[in-house]
Order: sequence, then C-alpha cells, then structure tokens
Amino acid sequence: MACEKEIWRKIGEGFVQEYYNQFDNTNRMGLGNLYSADACLTWEGSPFQGRDNIAAKLANLPFKRIKHVITEQDFQPTIDSCILIMVFGQLQVDDDPPMAFHQVFMLKSQNCAWACTNDVFRLGVHNIPV
Amino acid sequence: MSDGDYDYLIKFLALGDSGVGKTSFLYQYTDGKFNSKFITTVGIDFREKRVIYRSTGSDGSSGKGQKIHMQLWDTAGQERFRSLTTAFFRDAMGFLLLFDLTNEQSFLNVRNWMSQLQIHAYCENPDVVLCGNKCDLADQRAVSEEEARELAEKYGIPYFETSAANGLNVNKVVDVLLDLVMKRMERCVDKSWIPDGTVRANGPLNPDSSENSDRNKCAC
Repeated sequence: MACEKEIWRKIGEGFVQEYYNQFDNTNRMGLGNLYSADACLTWEGSPFQGRDNIAAKLANLPFKRIKHVITEQDFQPTIDSCILIMVFGQLQVDDDPPMAFHQVFMLKSQNCAWACTNDVFRLGVHNIPV
Repeated sequence: MSDGDYDYLIKFLALGDSGVGKTSFLYQYTDGKFNSKFITTVGIDFREKRVIYRSTGSDGSSGKGQKIHMQLWDTAGQERFRSLTTAFFRDAMGFLLLFDLTNEQSFLNVRNWMSQLQIHAYCENPDVVLCGNKCDLADQRAVSEEEARELAEKYGIPYFETSAANGLNVNKVVDVLLDLVMKRMERCVDKSWIPDGTVRANGPLNPDSSENSDRNKCAC
C-alpha cells in the first residue's frame, strides 16, 4: 500500500499544526481567521458563537505563555464532505504543571477554503471519584 | 474510598498562586510524603482522606466522633481555563489559601484570592485558613511572620506557617479548617446556606436535637 495519505487527513493535519502554532506563538487574535463567520466554540462548557467572539475568548485567556504538545490526533471524513478531528494532548501554561486536554474540530470547505465550523475544548481533569 | 460509611462529606479547596505548593501540601496531608517533583496527576484533581471529628462544646464536653470523608480539591491551573464560578469552586465549604513565604508576589496576591473568594464562594465570609508555605526555606524568606499575621487578622482568618516539605503544621491547618466548618454547621440550624453536594449528612448531626427532621431535609 502506498504511503500517500488521504486528502482529508492531510488537510486535518495542516489545520491542527497551524491552529496550535498560532495558539502558542502569537497573540491568538489571528486564530479567528481559522473559523467560519458563524462558527461555534464550546470552551470548558461555555458557548461562544461567531468568529469575533471566539477570537476574543481565545485572545483573552489569562496566561502569558502556553505550549501544546499533541499526543494523538484522529481524522474522519463525514458524509457531507466535512472533516472531523479529535486532538488529545497536554498543555502547559506559564509555570503550572502540565494538564491533559481534548479538542474536537469540524472543518468545512467554504468558498474554496477550509474553515473550522465547530470546536469543543475540555481539560482532561476529572472530578468524580471512581 | 468512596464507600458510604461516613457521616459527612466535606469538600475543601486549595487556592493560591502557581508554585506555592498546593499540590505538595495536599499530598503531604493525605499521604504524609513530600514529592519535590510535580505529580502529574492523570486527570484527578482532588485527594481524599477520612478523619474522625470530635466537637468540643461550649461547655467543654466532647461530643461523639463524626466520621468525615474529606475531599481536598487542587487547582493546578485549570482555573485559567474555566470560569471560577464552576461548581467545584462554589461547592467547597472551606478554603486553604496558600502563599509562598519565599515569594513576595504570591503574598501580595492573597488579597486578589480573598476577593475572588468573596465573589465566588457560597457566601461572602467562607471559612479560610491562610498558610505561609515553604517555611523550611528560612534563608530565602521574603515575607515576615508579622506582616502575614497582620493580613490574616485584617480578614479575620487564622494564619499558620507551613511546610509541605517537612509536614510542619500541615495536619494542624486542615484540622483548624475542619473545626471552623463543623462549628459553622452546628451554629446553623437552617442549613439552606450549604451549597448542594458539599456536605452530605449520612446521619443526624445531633441525635438529641428536636430539629432533626429539618436538619436532615436541608443537609441532604
């Protein structure tokens, strides 16, 4: 079998790389450009709708430095030609200990460009005893 | 650990700047050990311990022991991602507010933590114990005992100097906080102020009380 990757996987990997690169290395305002105009973000359970609201939320997170380390990323093409992405990794903020996180993205091709229409973020922190 | 054989489930939350030793403090309390490396918790952000609480009445009499199941919640930075009004913050009954005796900024930030507490905790004057941690690092001390004590007095809360490294005052602090919380409960006939889920009474607080049925209704 050839090593050629499926196109949806390549697009997904490109998005994930660009997203976390901008997240970690810029003031995060530019992240809004990766979202569609009416995109939805659910950040630790809080909803944000629209590119501007999402960009403002991400840019105003209260820390100076953040670093994401991706452990695994999974991709699926959907029946309506979108791309579903699940990212599982760790992040470290300023001098805090690292924490696990999960993030799910939906990408849709709009006007010949891929944009994120849905984004769900959660820290991997449990609060119910087993 | 979560079997139902206890009288009360009590949640405490450790607060304070990054690096003041919250995780180490809780680890020292529950396990009696110090781990100078970060314990990269795989998801769980609280520790649990069972203790017996004996109230001392105003007449000096000692009541029967209450089995307390304590959950000690850590905030290892997740508060920067979540709103501080999330349930885990609201649900805490008592607070361990830590600063680092070798880091003056962490002491100055105690004021910010107190105002956050007053906004987001279940009431405006929750039970808090202020801890000046890392008192074993005497040669690096940047905050004097006097100024810390003065600040605690201003807020009307107890102050202790602690060391998560050698265990000094760690048990003492949690005992003092538990005592404050239990005393508050005893004072409170109507327990409607108690946030849902913070105190789970498995049995009546005071079997002789005529308000028994009311108490159980409100505390559950």
